[in-house]
Order: sequence, then structure tokens, then C-alpha cells
Amino acid sequence: MTHPLAPRVAAYLQSRMPGASEVAVESMERISGGASRETYRFVARWREGAATRERRMILRRDPPASLIDTERRVEFAAYRAFFGSSVPVPEMLWLEEDCGPLDHPFFIAAEVAGFQAAPQLLFSGLYDAVLPTLARRKWTILGEIAKADPFALGLDKVMAAPVPEACWRRELDHWEAVLDRDEAEPLPITRAAIRWLRANPPPPAQKISVVHGDYRTGNFLFDEAGEIHGVLDWEMAHLGDPLEDLAWGLNPVWAFGRGLAGGLLAQAEAVAIWERASGLTADPAALHWWILFNCVKGQGIWVGSAAAFNTGGNREPIMIYPAWWLLNAQERAMLKVMGRL
Amino acid sequence: MNPEVPAVLMQLAAVVGRCAAPDVPEAERASDLAITAMLLGLAAEVWDGAAAKLVEENRALRALLGLAGADDDLRLSALKAENDRLRAGLIAAQIAAEKAGDVGRQEAIWAELVRATERRLLSVSLV
Repeated sequence: MTHPLAPRVAAYLQSRMPGASEVAVESMERISGGASRETYRFVARWREGAATRERRMILRRDPPASLIDTERRVEFAAYRAFFGSSVPVPEMLWLEEDCGPLDHPFFIAAEVAGFQAAPQLLFSGLYDAVLPTLARRKWTILGEIAKADPFALGLDKVMAAPVPEACWRRELDHWEAVLDRDEAEPLPITRAAIRWLRANPPPPAQKISVVHGDYRTGNFLFDEAGEIHGVLDWEMAHLGDPLEDLAWGLNPVWAFGRGLAGGLLAQAEAVAIWERASGLTADPAALHWWILFNCVKGQGIWVGSAAAFNTGGNREPIMIYPAWWLLNAQERAMLKVMGRL
Repeated sequence: MNPEVPAVLMQLAAVVGRCAAPDVPEAERASDLAITAMLLGLAAEVWDGAAAKLVEENRALRALLGLAGADDDLRLSALKAENDRLRAGLIAAQIAAEKAGDVGRQEAIWAELVRATERRLLSVSLV
């Protein structure tokens, strides 16, 4: 059965590949998850002169309402900036911000095929022997992202660059505003955490870095040898304090109940790997601030997910699960970080 | 639970109905049914104890805040509305205790907040 979107995607590809003819989109299917973008994989086939070409591709389309409100242009630029570097990312092909072709903005990328992303699979026991290798790669790559110069990459043209002193306030203001807008019920623990964060600000950022914004186990493609082949989900990428990115993955919810950073290894080891790769230092007090901040940020995302459902903007079941699964877990994570659980 | 369980069950009914149509792509049908199954499991898990836990928490919050009252309307929507009112009051009480430097009061509030997360704990909780 042909996917209803396939003919429209084929028409779009034809418009973007003037040298191609007989463009067809086959084996199109939606990939589960993807609460911030609708994600589809497909195979594109076309003719170039006498030759038949084929390429596996990914379509990321904005949903009617999202768990995260972000600009796909920023996400597209972040992927492009790191393509071909020591940070493995898929190749971006086309960005379309006009709603005409597929009803919502989207981009199309080359598929990094044949690898896995699901934490449930990673922690099923099948990968136990390579978890230490994977952990080293995970925090080394994050260190490479932190080390990169966002100005040399040209990312300051699509992402606002704060001064080092302003990083924490900008992020906290943003996520508190999201909570103010979206929360459907009082959240005493989250509000107490925000008050503590404002009363105990961290030092200025050591440098302005690219912050992936959602770098955690589950958002990269891995293989059976513990190698990482693609860092995904850059929709929250921005410029800011590199400790913010390190701390997101240390949010206790991303331990997946295993009591280890990212479910993979002790936090001190993860931080040491990141420090070696980035050439930066992770001051413990500053890192603690950013971990608690990321618990607040997480709550903003889960509350936003519920709000997208409650307001009718997006009634897909994927919008419900993060809220049900994580709202209370995130408050327990805050209690842990604050030493109260 | 936010979103509220009745609204979620209504939506899941619509999703299952959609999945019964013959022209739904197989991968999307499988994905929708898998997440629907997980959500139904969570709804089932919270169903029996939902009213009792809200009544217990509302009593605890009234005691902490020095308020009189009782839960006469045992519909979940009414209990939840009262819970929201009391938890908003708890935030105000915690801010007041912080400003006053009343450590004992702050600790009592934190103890109740820890118990609140225990009441809401799910079998699939990551923390």
C-alpha cells in the first residue's frame, strides 16, 4: 500500500532535483516516537539519464502542535554545521519552510540506516558488553560539540549568542515562561526548584558553545560494537553554556532506573570523559546547578506535551505518554538532585 | 495524571477506531496500538486508588495549611480541583516559610512533597 504522503513527497523531490526524472517514493512509513516532529523513512528512486538512482531518506515534518516549539531552520543548520566532522550526524538535503508542499514545514535528510536508538533495546542485555565503549563515545562526542566554535561554524547567524554571564538566566527565564504558559496544575517542587536556581546562580559560562539541547541516551544511533553513527534530535539546539548540555544527560530521569549516568556509567567517569574531550572543566557546583535546571527544563517539556494534548493542538497518543510517564518522575529527580530523596 | 484519564481514554478509543480502518499504514497502526496499550496499562494502574489518594493528600494538605474542610464530592474531577487549590496554597505557604526563614515549616512542607511523589509513583517510573 502506498503511503498517502508518498506522491506529494515524490513531487517535491522532483522539483528539487532538476536532473532527475521518474522520481518515486517507496516503502514510506512513519517512525514511532517523534513527539516534536513527525518522522518518516522512505526510499527515493529516480532516473538520471540512463542510470537508476536510489537513496534512503528521512522526512521530518512539523506536527500541528508540538511537544517543543522550535524552528526547523535552526535544527537544519545545526545538523549541517556538524556534518563531516567528528560529531556524526546525518546529511541534510532540503529544508522547506513553505506549507504548500506537505501542509507543514519540513526537512529531508539522508537516512543513517541499519542502527538502533531505543534505550529499551540498549539496556535489554544484548549490548551489555559494549556499554563501556558506547559510554566513552557518547561523552567524547558531547565533548566535541562543546569544544566546537559556533562562530566559526556560522551558527551565530541562526542562533542568538548570549554573553557568558547571561546563559543561565536566558534559559531559566525561557523554561519558567513555558511552565507559566502550559502548566495545568500547581507544581510545588518545580516552583521551589526554580526559586532555588534564581537564588543560587552559577558562574558565567567558560565559553559560548553549541548546546545540542537533548543529548541523552535514546537520541543517537548505535551499533553492536558500541560505536555511535548519528546524533539526532537537534530541535532544541542553541548557543549557551556547555555545562547545560553535559547536565541534561545527567538529569536522573535519563538514568532509565539504572542508577548510572545515562544508564551507562558513573557520573564522575562521564564528566571526566567529557572534560578530556572538550578541554573544559565541569565545576561541581555549577554542574549541580545545571542538572537541577535541566530537571526544570524537562518538566517544561512534559508539561508542554500535556498542554498540546489538552488544548487540542495535537491529540496523538505520543503527546500523552511523556506527561504520564515523566511528570512525577521528573519531580522525584528534582528531589534527588536537591538531596531530599 | 495530566492529561486527565477520561480525556485520554476518549482519545484512545478514537485511535483504536482509526486503527481498525483497512487503509492505515501497518507501521503506523503498530506504533499507535503499542503506545495505546502502554497508556491503557497506566490508566488501569492508577484507576482503583485515584480517589483514595486524592482524599488522603487533600487531608494532609489541609492539616499542613491549617484549613478546615472535607471532600464531600468524591468525583475525581472535584477531588482534583480541590487538590489543585490546596497545592497552590502549599506553594504560597512554602514561599512564606522561606522568606521567614522558618526551617521547621519548610521541612514539614518538603516532607509532604516527598510523600506526594510517593502517592503518584508509577510502576514504570524512571526515578
